Amino acid sequence: MRRLTGAALAILFLFPLAWSAFASVRTPSGFGLENYARLFNADNGIHFEQAFNSVAVSVLTVGGTLVVSTLGGYAFGRFTFPGRDALFLLTLAILMVPYATILIALYVLLGWIGLQDSLIGLSLVLIMFQLPFSVFMMRNSFEAVPKELEEAALLDGCGSFRALTRIMLPAVKPGLITVGLFAFLTSWSEFFAPLILLNSTDKFTMMLTVVNMRTATFGAIDYAALEAGVTFMAVPCLVLFLVLQRSYVRGFMSGALRG
Amino acid sequence: MKRWMGSIVAATLLLGAAACGDDTKAGTPADADSGTTLKLWTRAATESQSKAYAAAYNATHKNQVEVTAYPNEEYPAKLASAAGAKALPDLFASDVVFAPQYASQGLWLDITDKFNALPVKDKVAPAHVRNGTWNKKNYAVPHTVDMSVMLYNKDLFAKAGLDPEKPPTTLQEFADDARAVDKLGGDVNGTYFGGNCGGCNVFTLWPSVWASSGDVMTAEGTESTVNGKAMADVFALYRKLYDEGVAAPASKDEAGPTWLGALQSGKIGIAPGPAAWLGLIEEKAAFKLGIAPISGIDGGESTFVGGDAIGIGATSKHAAQAWDFLAWTLGDEAQVEVVAKNKGVPVRTDLAANKYSSADPRIVTINNLMAKGRTPYAKNFNVTYNDPQSPWVTAFRGALFGDARKSLDDGATALTASLKK
Amino acid sequence: MTLLVDKRPAVSPPAARPRPRRTRRWVGALYAAPTAFMVGMFFLVPLGLVAYMSLHHWPLLGAPELNAPENYAGMADDELLATAAWFTLKYTVVVTVLLFGLSFGLALLVQHPGRGVGLLRTAYFIPAAVGFASASLLFLGLLSDEIGPVNRILESLGLLHGYVSWTSGSSGSALGSAVGLVLWRFAGFNMLILLTGLQAIPVEVYEAARLDGASRWATFRRITVPLMRPTLALVLTLMVTGSLLAFDQFWILTRGGPDNSTTSLVMIIYRKAFIELDLGSAAAISVVLLVVLILFNVVQLGMLRRKG
Repeated sequence: MRRLTGAALAILFLFPLAWSAFASVRTPSGFGLENYARLFNADNGIHFEQAFNSVAVSVLTVGGTLVVSTLGGYAFGRFTFPGRDALFLLTLAILMVPYATILIALYVLLGWIGLQDSLIGLSLVLIMFQLPFSVFMMRNSFEAVPKELEEAALLDGCGSFRALTRIMLPAVKPGLITVGLFAFLTSWSEFFAPLILLNSTDKFTMMLTVVNMRTATFGAIDYAALEAGVTFMAVPCLVLFLVLQRSYVRGFMSGALRG
Repeated sequence: MKRWMGSIVAATLLLGAAACGDDTKAGTPADADSGTTLKLWTRAATESQSKAYAAAYNATHKNQVEVTAYPNEEYPAKLASAAGAKALPDLFASDVVFAPQYASQGLWLDITDKFNALPVKDKVAPAHVRNGTWNKKNYAVPHTVDMSVMLYNKDLFAKAGLDPEKPPTTLQEFADDARAVDKLGGDVNGTYFGGNCGGCNVFTLWPSVWASSGDVMTAEGTESTVNGKAMADVFALYRKLYDEGVAAPASKDEAGPTWLGALQSGKIGIAPGPAAWLGLIEEKAAFKLGIAPISGIDGGESTFVGGDAIGIGATSKHAAQAWDFLAWTLGDEAQVEVVAKNKGVPVRTDLAANKYSSADPRIVTINNLMAKGRTPYAKNFNVTYNDPQSPWVTAFRGALFGDARKSLDDGATALTASLKK
Repeated sequence: MTLLVDKRPAVSPPAARPRPRRTRRWVGALYAAPTAFMVGMFFLVPLGLVAYMSLHHWPLLGAPELNAPENYAGMADDELLATAAWFTLKYTVVVTVLLFGLSFGLALLVQHPGRGVGLLRTAYFIPAAVGFASASLLFLGLLSDEIGPVNRILESLGLLHGYVSWTSGSSGSALGSAVGLVLWRFAGFNMLILLTGLQAIPVEVYEAARLDGASRWATFRRITVPLMRPTLALVLTLMVTGSLLAFDQFWILTRGGPDNSTTSLVMIIYRKAFIELDLGSAAAISVVLLVVLILFNVVQLGMLRRKG
């Protein structure tokens, strides 16, 4: 009974993705890659530069999130300093702000610092939105590392930074992979932030194009090309999820334990 | 820590305040074609027309126009956030009915003098020009024109025993024709409408009201008369078609995104819709498509002159060059060789008949309609009529599917309140 | 940013012996500096701007005028806002209950290793790999009458006759579509968090309970739930916060309809800001929503501390 329920639920969870892949290759005359051809060759379809932009934003966001949240997690998990709790709570408060309004303010802010219509500006914003999850995860990962490990390093004459790079980082690797993976997922599939923050076609990311397929011609949705877009965007994420599965499950075990 | 953050806040706020100060100066006409790159924003629905203009202009000018298209539904958000950050493009187009709102907010530069100096200014679609006006100043000119017409399937008409060359001349006849086609049965339906789509119904139902000499609001767009007899009669007619099952059941939920798809399917007898879909329907359809004016209950004809208006972004630093492009788009060459050649409706009344239109008599029908049509004017058009959460959607859904009388009376109050905001 | 980052190497030179406590405090602060910078610059500054906006009539271009407390007072007689607030609350309760039940159920289902359990976990978790906007588009196709399989499957089972629009046919089915999407997309993610909580409970505790002859239900209630309290709190907080801020699922799937029955609070903020171009009022609603969320989370944390 238990196994049956489990399997039935699994089918239910896999069904939408399987259907999307199926619908993306179904054509009026059978099966083929026509829908993908429309997705890539259409005037307003996905072009190389958008793929490049998506990759660039993802790399910047993942890199930035890892650096900031590793240092931050180390600080919150291993040090006491003035304002620690306040800063930690503030970081978590990012989760509580309605996206729609803060984006206007962010757009204005990026204008002030000369990062409007820039992939770097967009990445900085995406890093900020990743921080609650990432800092939380990294803090808990660092806290879970046995104290003796770090102390041994410090006694060996390592400074705290060397202790971090030599001893601590390998110990929190699952946490790092989890944080990096989710940063990738968000930046890769984010739609609203690039829409508001980017102004030029040559800076657009792929997700903008895919969402645009929904209304490109007013009055008709090209569902098949839309599903091709959804499938295409999901594939890199699915591959990474499967390849890194062992790591992020361990990352969760060490990171998400305590509230 | 706190002080440090405080000073950042203060510093950035100051910076922002300073950034608001700089003014843009319009250049002199002499350097109007100076090899400037002009950014033009438009919504996805208008992308192809904007790009056609830009390509033709770029080929013969030193200035280069770059077109960026945004998703239709998110386009107003994009414009608003860009304006809030003082980063509007050199040129941007908008749905013509939203133009008064953008003009009133000062998002476009005042082009009154430039426009008045234009030799063809009196021949530019007057309703569009009026919508680009705020406090007697011009802010926008027409970019594309689209009009609502009756689209009917000649094959289904013939099958139902109707004369495919005799489209209805009153709304009552339209209903009878739809019923006749619906009797064919199967998955064929008599008609189709966007029963959950504010913009669609504005576009397709109001002409019937105008053709019956009624109106839906005052000329200044500040008071709703949606509970008037003409509007109520039009709603009642469509309501009956839906109740009888003559209108496809999907009509009730149609919010716009699949409207064209329904008409392309070849299973709808006759329905009001955008004239611009003529090409789109024919490229997919294996049936003959007829076009007729939208009529009032007992006759008359009218149309909603929609489309896009375009103006110069208020924060643009290339006003002279941007105007050079706009003035060019209103000229004979652009209107005939770009717009008419691509089966579009010229934005100039004197070009309704041109060397391309004569090839397809249906296009002459469409072009001639412009003089009988209207473009309603209201500062708060989007929020009152187009937005899915608008009072108009609530009112007409009540009129079509709920308590009609009450919905229209309540609706008139709610619409007026929204228009006056 | 460069100022703060350039200082970092000063920390790294190896010291011969552990530093005194006081230095270590500043070292900690230094590591937290990038986080503080990001939070300060890209969260607090814009947030400050939003709060400042909420006190003004804020035109898109041109000078803002102080009009406090008009933007806040205006919320009192905004009927649409009241409808949306009520709906958002209702939605939050529905989603939290269902999502929590499903996630916990899944976690219990796959908590013990066994043949095929790994596969099941992967299957439940995999929707988390699809971005939320993508997932919404996927469901738009899935539920559409034009291409989606759902109507056809139900018709062939004889459960459905004629045309049905899930996303805008009735308020119930529109809400159901959005809830279905959220369940599909987030159940696995929450399952994984709950699973980590479940597995952190030492096996000995369960064994002791079994020796005492406790029933399975009693074990679950007396041991599993209390020991998992921090994890449960985390999951519930995430669910409630996410639901109160729901936007994408309604924006893409239902457009807030039919008849405003699925219009969420954030959609109202969006409408105020981008359709009405009334940035001041949009900011005011955001501020109130933020305060409510903070209060809710403070209360929740407080209760957790007391009991824990």
